Amino acid sequence: MRRKFLKGCAATLAVAAAISSASVALAQTAAEFYDGKNIKFIVPYKPGGGYDEYGRMLAPYLEKHTGARVDIVNMPGAGGMKGANEIFNSPSDGLTIGIINGSAMVTNEIAGIEGANYKVADYNFLGRVVADQRVLAVSTKTGLETYEDVLKSESPVLLGATGLGGSTYVDAVIVGTVMGNNQKVIHGFNSSSDVRQALLRGDIQGMWGSWGSARKGVAAGDFRIVTHSARDGDPNTPDIPSVFDYAAKLDDPANADEILIAWDALSAVGRPVAAPPGVPEDRVVFLQEAFAKAMTDPEFVDKAKQSKRDLNYSDGATMARLAKSATDLTPEIRKLFVAAINGEL
Amino acid sequence: MTIIEGMTSGFLQAISLGVLPFLVTGAIFGLIIGVIPGLSGHFAMAMAVTFLYSMEPAAGIAFLLGAHSTVAQGGGLTAILFSTPGTGQNAATLLDGPPMRDKGQAGLAVGAAMASCFLGATFGAIALALLIPVLRDVVLFFGPPEIFVLAFLALTFVSILGKEDMTRSMIAALMGLMLAMIGVDNVTNTERFTMGSSDLADGLSLVPAILGLFAVAEMIELWVRGGSLAKDVPNPLSGRETQKQIFAGIGIAFSKWWLVLRCSAIGTIMGLIPGLGSAPAAFVAYGHAKQTSKDKASFGKGNIEGVIGAESANDAVEGGALASTLAFGIPGSSSMAILLSGLFILGLETGPQMLNDNLDIVFVMIFTIIIGNLIGTVIGMFLVNPLSRATSIRASYMVPVLLAIIVTGAYAADRSLFDIGIALVFGVLGYLMKVLNYSRAALLIGFVLGFAVEKNLYLALLIDGPFFFMEPIPLTLTLITITFLGVNIFGFFRDRRKEQS
Repeated sequence: MRRKFLKGCAATLAVAAAISSASVALAQTAAEFYDGKNIKFIVPYKPGGGYDEYGRMLAPYLEKHTGARVDIVNMPGAGGMKGANEIFNSPSDGLTIGIINGSAMVTNEIAGIEGANYKVADYNFLGRVVADQRVLAVSTKTGLETYEDVLKSESPVLLGATGLGGSTYVDAVIVGTVMGNNQKVIHGFNSSSDVRQALLRGDIQGMWGSWGSARKGVAAGDFRIVTHSARDGDPNTPDIPSVFDYAAKLDDPANADEILIAWDALSAVGRPVAAPPGVPEDRVVFLQEAFAKAMTDPEFVDKAKQSKRDLNYSDGATMARLAKSATDLTPEIRKLFVAAINGEL
Repeated sequence: MTIIEGMTSGFLQAISLGVLPFLVTGAIFGLIIGVIPGLSGHFAMAMAVTFLYSMEPAAGIAFLLGAHSTVAQGGGLTAILFSTPGTGQNAATLLDGPPMRDKGQAGLAVGAAMASCFLGATFGAIALALLIPVLRDVVLFFGPPEIFVLAFLALTFVSILGKEDMTRSMIAALMGLMLAMIGVDNVTNTERFTMGSSDLADGLSLVPAILGLFAVAEMIELWVRGGSLAKDVPNPLSGRETQKQIFAGIGIAFSKWWLVLRCSAIGTIMGLIPGLGSAPAAFVAYGHAKQTSKDKASFGKGNIEGVIGAESANDAVEGGALASTLAFGIPGSSSMAILLSGLFILGLETGPQMLNDNLDIVFVMIFTIIIGNLIGTVIGMFLVNPLSRATSIRASYMVPVLLAIIVTGAYAADRSLFDIGIALVFGVLGYLMKVLNYSRAALLIGFVLGFAVEKNLYLALLIDGPFFFMEPIPLTLTLITITFLGVNIFGFFRDRRKEQS
């Protein structure tokens, strides 16, 4: 009898303990959850590059607004795919996040590249750090003054690019296919730095690349931007018409426009910060808010400005939409992109 | 700002109290990183960059570049004393450094290596300063056709690297070329020799491969052989004796100034060429030292000229590598890419603007390289004694400790467990090659240059067509290469005839 009573007491206690701990867990807000925890922030490239720099610049402000410690972990490999896989397949407790090369991850996913163990649209996006504005830069020594000159050129215009499927290559062939101009893409350069050097030497006449990497050459008078991917105009290059403006004058503007919109979405994905799928919603919301606060922190903005790093913040919801529209393509456009990525155009 | 003004201002800034402490700290940091096998200049800079946010421009540059410029010096120390390349570019030092240690001349080798490093770095820095007015033209001199021919020329040096046996060197070099092809080829986007492994898709990393070939192989040999690292020396050198040898070594490096000058020039020129890196520069300089020496046979058996040649080219590379970064803001190597992002953080922009408006900053860099290496030499001398004592420790204690450090070094660069595997596999390969008398240097040079040769050949063909080598500059370089090869082949057969008769 007595033993039974004790057993009963123990059981009641155990249940009570279980209930109370459960209620603590329920009552615990996301802010309380993150307080004092460690967040692993994955950078999918080596230390020293742009992604690494953005990550390290951002980390102290994420710490400030989450209350957690943020550890940068560099995980280079497979052109940023290793880190992206790692983020996507990490435990969904919200303690692993990271910056990804959104555009390249979309391209790899569309082309069905082996080792792409993620779905871009399924990430929980905290928001975007920056999107690279794509521009077509030509050497000032070529005599090509405007994009019209490029389109009218009788001899093929030589455009430099890195590897097959890289963004410099995909941009050149997609826009070239849409506009139908006479061009030849010289690909196989080791890095976009090497392409720029070839452009300076006059081995090639132009290249597609990000505004950030062309900026310096433009300021020095070596390069000239002739067109870009910003449909509504680009504050960096205000007087230069976009590819969309030129495409509107083509025979089949609707088709061209559709392809270019898909192409533009690719660069708009830019460099987002993402968490894996399945993270509890309140934590995602908390992280999104903390990311927004970090990105708009005046001190952070100042620091980015000082180190000449562009910022184009977009919130998590917008990023989710962009990622969806970039991967959700019509069969014809998908076919075109797959061909471009595989070098079949 | 005129050049004289920039130079004076740069020098005064570099030795000012606000900058010099950072330079010293950076130099010591770099030296330590260099001594640890596997941690390279790239790694030192990447770590240093995170401290830059609160620094003044000149202090930040001194810290960053100071750390980068002494890495090769520290690495040379490890190469000579422990037969383990501290960084990739010290691999060439292994050919003659450790044999000198085994003869009881460790101090001599270290002294010569340190002084050559300093002289080479100074040469590279001065060359950079002299080139400033024509820097843009010099950098643009090298396009795919030129780089292809030059890389090919460097590749032919394997024929003189190996000890005597040409056939085995060729086999090793071809194996290196094959290993360079592993990974996704970004011209055709096809996987080559990856056997479906995603870890191999990026190709083999250089650092674990070098660590395996030389360091792990050495550990296996030491384990099998037993005893201590310094094999023929019964007692460790006394502190006084080591110190004496170091000064003697420094003296020898200065007295062989003509050799230092030529090897430094090789280093600087190869530094100017994007994508070649400093490891081949040291090998080519070593080959040149051997080629021009009266006593070719003693190379590889502890000839001090081999150490001097490799080490002076090693650090002369810096000046050349900085050129394209400064002239156009285009980084020629991964280390220079980090330097560039470091300069961004400090609010500086390279390119023509810097050459016009911030010439003093350019000279701060130049003086940082010189002063940093001087500091490295002085502090390195104090490191030699404690380190050289370790070389007489028994293998059964030494091997586990060193192997742990080597494995950590292989892992640290990319935080990849797979790289540890690469180091171990290459270790077995390196050991077998050593036992069977195949040149590991030839394999390495094939491996490093294979990539540059293939890529630039493809680009040259695309840009200039099948007869790209008929353009004036590539044609001159091609003729030099053919002459060089011809002389070597002739010499090879002449020596063989001599032996037979």
